[in-house]
Amino acid sequence: MGEAVNVEVIQQRLEAVKGARMKLWLDMCAHCGLCAKSCFFYLAHDNDPTYMPSYKVIKSLGELYRRKGNVDREFLEQIYEIVWGKCTACRRCSMYCPFGIDMATMIATARAICNSQGVVPEGLQKAIDNIWAQGNQMAMAKEDWIETCDWMAEETQEEVAGLEIPMDRVGANIMYTVNPREPMYYPQDIAMAAKIFHIAGEDWTMSSEGWDDTNLAMFAGDGKCMAHATKMTYDAAIKLEAKHIGITE
Amino acid sequence: MYEFVRGPLLWITFIVFVGGMIYRIVSLVHLSTRRDQVIYNHMNASWAFRSIFHWLLPFNQTAKQYPVYTFVAFLFHICLLGIPIFLLAHNILWYESWGISWWSLPENLADYLTLVMLGAILFLLIRRAVLPYVRIVTSPTDYLFLLVVALPFLTGYLAYHQYIHYKTLLIIHILSGELMLMLIPFTKLAHMALFFFSRALIGMEFGERRGTTTW
Repeated sequence: MGEAVNVEVIQQRLEAVKGARMKLWLDMCAHCGLCAKSCFFYLAHDNDPTYMPSYKVIKSLGELYRRKGNVDREFLEQIYEIVWGKCTACRRCSMYCPFGIDMATMIATARAICNSQGVVPEGLQKAIDNIWAQGNQMAMAKEDWIETCDWMAEETQEEVAGLEIPMDRVGANIMYTVNPREPMYYPQDIAMAAKIFHIAGEDWTMSSEGWDDTNLAMFAGDGKCMAHATKMTYDAAIKLEAKHIGITE
Repeated sequence: MYEFVRGPLLWITFIVFVGGMIYRIVSLVHLSTRRDQVIYNHMNASWAFRSIFHWLLPFNQTAKQYPVYTFVAFLFHICLLGIPIFLLAHNILWYESWGISWWSLPENLADYLTLVMLGAILFLLIRRAVLPYVRIVTSPTDYLFLLVVALPFLTGYLAYHQYIHYKTLLIIHILSGELMLMLIPFTKLAHMALFFFSRALIGMEFGERRGTTTW
């Protein structure tokens, strides 16, 4: 059965996001169904109507509002199946809706409600714990990050003389950020980026902090951690007086 | 009865319709200044207008993906506005009331367009009942709205031709038209005005904040 959910918290959150936009989106849907063919989940599942976007929103966030937040854990786990199992919040539906109803944002809001009660995919929760602990989704220690960049610089210097992977250089044009899977599993990606920067004569740097450009906290519906993850990168760029932030993806 | 629906009830209708729409829009805008401040960081008239333009006319991906639906929906909306506004019979009433007049449709064209309109409504009705991805998000009110919109056109057509029960049909025609107008501000029919706001919002969100189009 699981523990009870905090209905008050759910209600507060539902109320907090119910500004003009949310009201507009909740009220405006004319049930036209045109969002269906915009969704690759719908198309890939043989046009199964339960995968069409407005239905997914109606059955998740729509239901939360309809029940005024009076829900139990079992209900949240049903929503979990929709908002994480049947949607990637890619925003295609938001683009294809004739009214421009931002369904993806509504799904993300439902994710946040679930997250607030501990209903969230395990892997994403682990990433959040890692971000708080070590500033990146894979809990890579700072020394290991710096060492990996040094190592790649060394290796690549054999190929490209004079190549450097600057770390914490002040005033660079681009502060480059990466997906942690690069230093962890595919460090050669870092080497390749360094080659391009070097041959292009770009004024760039890596940063010892805020170097993770992914934001799994956003996918997890954890607003606080999401803001923290983004802020670390911006703070680093400001500290290093970089002109631009580059992202690997 | 005729005097009542043609006179006082018509006034009530206009007040409810216009007043209701103004109230809805103003209260949403006011709410946005309190709760949606973030949108005011990326306002841009060009992105707003382009977003509206590409959907007021069928210049978007959705129109490409659903060509038949788009064609019918546009016919529907053109007739929905065009027929009542340019109908000779209505223009005579405006002239009787306020001495104003404007161009009218030739009567047989208006007649033909009304049948087109009824055909479009029939298409939407069948589509809603038959297509699985539309049926699954359909509630009884969706069918009700189709009926509410169909009634003025159906009864108007019948009354104009004076086939049977002219006076009765005329009164039902006026009543059903007034019902539709009064429902607009409080239902999904309000998209008549809200479309411009929702389109502007996402146009600016995608455009000004992210630099990409929403069509």
